[in-house]
Amino acid sequence: MLLEVNNINSGYGFLQVLWDVSINIDTGEYVCLIGPNGAGKSTLLKTIAGIVRLKNGRILFNDKEHLHLAKGHEISRMGISYISEELNLFRRMTVEENLAMGAVAIKDKKEKEKNLAFVLGLFPQLKNRLTQISGTMSGGEQKMLAIARGMMSSPTLLLVDEPSLGLAPQLTTAVFDTLDILIKEGVSILLAEQNVHRTLQSTHRGYVIESGKIVLEGKSSELSENEHVKKAYLGIV
Amino acid sequence: MNHLSERSLFRKMAIKLKTPGSLTVVITIAVAVLASLYSGSYIFINTLVMGAMLAIMAMGLALIFSVMSVPNFAHGEFFMVGTLVSYYVFKPFIKITQQTGNPVLISLSPLITFFTATAVGVILGMFLEIALFRPLRRRSREQWVMNSFLLTLGVSVMLVNGHLLIFGTDFKGIINYWPYETIKILEVQTSFDRIVVLILSLCVILIFWAFMKSSKLGRSIRAVSQDETGAIMVGINVDAIQTITLALCCGLAALSGAFLLFMYPSHPSVGMAPLYNSWFIVILMGMGNVGGAAIGGFVVALFQVLTTVYIGEGWGLIIPAIAIAAILVIKPVGILGSPIRGILDK
Repeated sequence: MLLEVNNINSGYGFLQVLWDVSINIDTGEYVCLIGPNGAGKSTLLKTIAGIVRLKNGRILFNDKEHLHLAKGHEISRMGISYISEELNLFRRMTVEENLAMGAVAIKDKKEKEKNLAFVLGLFPQLKNRLTQISGTMSGGEQKMLAIARGMMSSPTLLLVDEPSLGLAPQLTTAVFDTLDILIKEGVSILLAEQNVHRTLQSTHRGYVIESGKIVLEGKSSELSENEHVKKAYLGIV
Repeated sequence: MNHLSERSLFRKMAIKLKTPGSLTVVITIAVAVLASLYSGSYIFINTLVMGAMLAIMAMGLALIFSVMSVPNFAHGEFFMVGTLVSYYVFKPFIKITQQTGNPVLISLSPLITFFTATAVGVILGMFLEIALFRPLRRRSREQWVMNSFLLTLGVSVMLVNGHLLIFGTDFKGIINYWPYETIKILEVQTSFDRIVVLILSLCVILIFWAFMKSSKLGRSIRAVSQDETGAIMVGINVDAIQTITLALCCGLAALSGAFLLFMYPSHPSVGMAPLYNSWFIVILMGMGNVGGAAIGGFVVALFQVLTTVYIGEGWGLIIPAIAIAAILVIKPVGILGSPIRGILDK
């Protein structure tokens, strides 16, 4: 197992959001997390990434790293890249500096250059914008930059939170296509998404989370046939 | 074609000149030059010496605010610590150099003093972060700005009264660092100390600037100041960066105090005026704007020098404060503005 989340409880201060949540991801798998607003999708990703401290439970990475004991920056250095909903770009730095910061944990210069070439191949639009201040770019470009920055640390697992939020349909498609390419490159992805239809089309497996609890899990093709998912998320009666 | 590109270049320059930052720089230099022509070039020299000191202090203050969201009201006390340490380090040197007259020791001893003062400031800053701010941050980030403000106020009271208790109220000063003749610059007799300290301060500002701009550590510091969560996401140890930032800035404040020991003899509340002035600067130029703070140092220094010369010594702090209040009425976020709109937004 690449990632094993065992019975975690997590939340903000006295407010508990996740109740006894368990999920797992195999190497190379493309797993989605679907659920309504406020169900705890983002909190789960943030807890795995170490941005939110968990109350109890265990998270294992690569069968040996105990993520529940690690700090946020250590988790990132283990090879987990988290791409948040708010993107958390360094808004007053240039695109190039943002990408360089993405690879801040990498010592090897050659690997850095390789990663830079890879992400610029993935997003050719960023190539002409290297000297632009990232905060002045459009929403779609910022999202691309966030994904590119996340890929700069050569991660094995990508946690992506609502990549389609606030994007035009065409750009949404482009983002999903990019994620498909990354899966082919051997990266594993955990995707939290509201665009359930498109998500279930491209992912391998999925979890449905409601009110902080996992209520359903299964292959994406099976989930899209499930009556509950059809009714609540796909709008098919 | 060539003609056209030349014109657009001019237009670009004109646009660049219209930004508030460059406008401020141009106006400041113009006023300083005019005043110097009118009343003598000592205005220019004084503004530079004082401006460099204020710039170093204010840059540290702005950086602490932007990286840690701490409004540091103990910053002046690090200036005080700098003067105190350098006094006690330098005094034995005076005795030795007076007895031996060793020219190497004469020229080197102030540098050793500056280094020691900076080191003490750095260690104290590090201690402050690890012993006080870190536990507070662990406990809760609620009302962080207010809580950390009160914490720095407490540190300030402790340091001032610690000085009072151990070293007393005496003015502990020196006549000069380098016992050399004054030098005539632009028809002003300027002491050797002033010139060397001015050059050293400008070097410190430039090195600091280059460090923040292009070193890996400097870039990580800027990253934490722009987005803390983003910094964690890319694998930056935010705790370490905050410790380094506070240590660095306290070191700079102490260095500033050490530089100016010959102008400001050490006593418990010597840090008051530099503290107020650097807060003027930071508020005037925009909270958390480090580059702006460097420029602002010279702007506020000019304000003060002009007030002292044309209105009177006692008005030195009052008139600049009024002028700054007036500017802030027109531009509430400060001349250069800043990404942090209100102190409690962050």
